[in-house]
Amino acid sequence: MTEVRSLATANLTKAFGGVVALDGATVTFRHGQVNALIGPNGSGKTTFFNCVTGMIRPDSGQTTYRGQDITRRAPHAIVRAGIGRTFQLCRVFPRMSALDNVLAAVRPAGLVGQLRGARARVEVDRAWGWLTRLGIEHLADVEARTMSWGQQKLLELAGVLMSDPETVLLDEPAGGVNPALLDRIGTLVRELNAEGRTFVIVEHNMDLVMSVSDHIVVFDRGRPIAEGPPSLIRTDERVLGAYLGV
Amino acid sequence: MPSASEPTTAPTAATAPAVTLARRPVGRIVPAVAVLVLAAAVLSFPSLAPNPYILSAGVVVLNYAVLSTSWNFVGGFTGYISLGHGALAGLGAYGTALLVTRAGLPSFVALAVAALLVAALAVPIGFAALRVRGASFVIVSIALVLILLLVFQSWASLTGGSRGLVVPRPFPGLLRPEHHRVFYFLFAGLLGLALLAWWLIDRSRFGLGLKAIREDEDKAEALGTPTFAYKLVVFVVSAGFTALAGGLYALWFGDLDPVFQFSILTGSYMVLMALLGGVRHLFGPVVGALVVGFALEYFKVEFGNTPLHLVATGLLLALVVLFMPDGVLPAIGGLLNRLSRPTQSSIREVTAAQLRDERAAASAAEGTRDRGDAAAATAGGRPQSTRERA
Repeated sequence: MTEVRSLATANLTKAFGGVVALDGATVTFRHGQVNALIGPNGSGKTTFFNCVTGMIRPDSGQTTYRGQDITRRAPHAIVRAGIGRTFQLCRVFPRMSALDNVLAAVRPAGLVGQLRGARARVEVDRAWGWLTRLGIEHLADVEARTMSWGQQKLLELAGVLMSDPETVLLDEPAGGVNPALLDRIGTLVRELNAEGRTFVIVEHNMDLVMSVSDHIVVFDRGRPIAEGPPSLIRTDERVLGAYLGV
Repeated sequence: MPSASEPTTAPTAATAPAVTLARRPVGRIVPAVAVLVLAAAVLSFPSLAPNPYILSAGVVVLNYAVLSTSWNFVGGFTGYISLGHGALAGLGAYGTALLVTRAGLPSFVALAVAALLVAALAVPIGFAALRVRGASFVIVSIALVLILLLVFQSWASLTGGSRGLVVPRPFPGLLRPEHHRVFYFLFAGLLGLALLAWWLIDRSRFGLGLKAIREDEDKAEALGTPTFAYKLVVFVVSAGFTALAGGLYALWFGDLDPVFQFSILTGSYMVLMALLGGVRHLFGPVVGALVVGFALEYFKVEFGNTPLHLVATGLLLALVVLFMPDGVLPAIGGLLNRLSRPTQSSIREVTAAQLRDERAAASAAEGTRDRGDAAAATAGGRPQSTRERA
């Protein structure tokens, strides 16, 4: 597979008071692949996601997406550039129906587009398509807050996919999810990747990481310490050291 | 294996069944009837009012209804609780009055210009205030009222200060009852306009984005909604309508005093009425204004010139909040749904039935699908999705 730069950072640094969460992280993810970002708790993975998606401002450093500088852009502008994300503690709109949750990801253009009905047929069909694909279409009219954790995770993903991102960042998709659903998420990631979407996945579940990833980046103390295909990472001394504290 | 519950799905774009789009029949007919009854009641009130005092109370209640509905553009959609909207009404009132007295504009031209000016002023105000959320936003909005109170009290050479500002009547020839009648219908018209605008936004994509902000602002932003621009736009719309209500009040009442125009109480009433009726509902603020307005007037008559009417109104509010935390309208809606259950089943019940069918179908097909997946896995191929993105 030819390697094309997707999301990349250069010397990304972020400190919260005295705690350095990102310490000059320089990372390049690959376009068209399933990338994984792993590392022990507190190694800066979520901070990294928050910085590259514009949710928090890095102290210094640069983020580029396919060659475009997106460092100082607002989160919604980064979505527009083609990057969608899920949250570690799955976030949905609790007092909206599942269908509205997905429809909320529609980005209308122009005044007329803004004032057009939110439940236009075209959009509803597209939203329904995603709900169906994730197997939660029977919950379309149910308020998100009454859904189970697993269903909410699928719903969040459906919303992100509705915004049609070229690159999807998943923050711990396996967290708190039963094994059957885990299989389904893994399969879905591979399918969506086959359809041309790039993934960057932060995950602790090594079975999932090793089975879906093409390329793995390992973080420790706010910077990458190793990267490569799963077969290499599995046996890397530095990775074992970081995880086991050797 | 994209969907575990439906092994056989057409390979075309999925189409939502009509049930998702169609609201509950009860949810469609009842509001339509309610709107007609409400409109008829509002329009026939002036003919039924026994004396000018009652009619003027009607004008006050309608003014509350417009103010509260205007507040609900921000409060209902985005969940930002502004206690400062009284100041925007005050600015509309003084703007209208000053444009009439100082610039010599015709009354209703002055009203329109003042509303536009307040809307323009709402851009920098919103730019500053909407950067903070929750309790901080409430405090900032209160600060707006206090600052403007000081300005309008101290700048006596322009505003008349505490001596007040007399606004010339737009229809000098009219007798008092007729004056009330005309303004009653003007307020009713303005209320209709505000409700129409709220309804349009409510059903639009813009409205869905605003509601997403109310639910989880960061999440809405992460889904691609330009949250700040959305908040600012709806704040400006809200300010414009609030200023129209304030300006119309100035033309009707004819006398302005900074203490009443820039009062925390005005903003608090708007919030209370909207919360009371139900902020998620088009007619929530109107119903809230009717309840609070009627209660205030009724208890005033009952208890005479004592502060007891405020206590009684407070008790009423406490009761409603205790037993109808989402407001009066959602409580009534819930009751209607329960009552109509024998004939109409809710969407949830239909869904539960579908769910049972799907489960039955899925468990019947379980064996075959599992074997199919296993075969695909051993063959090393990824199962291609048959479902295309639309």
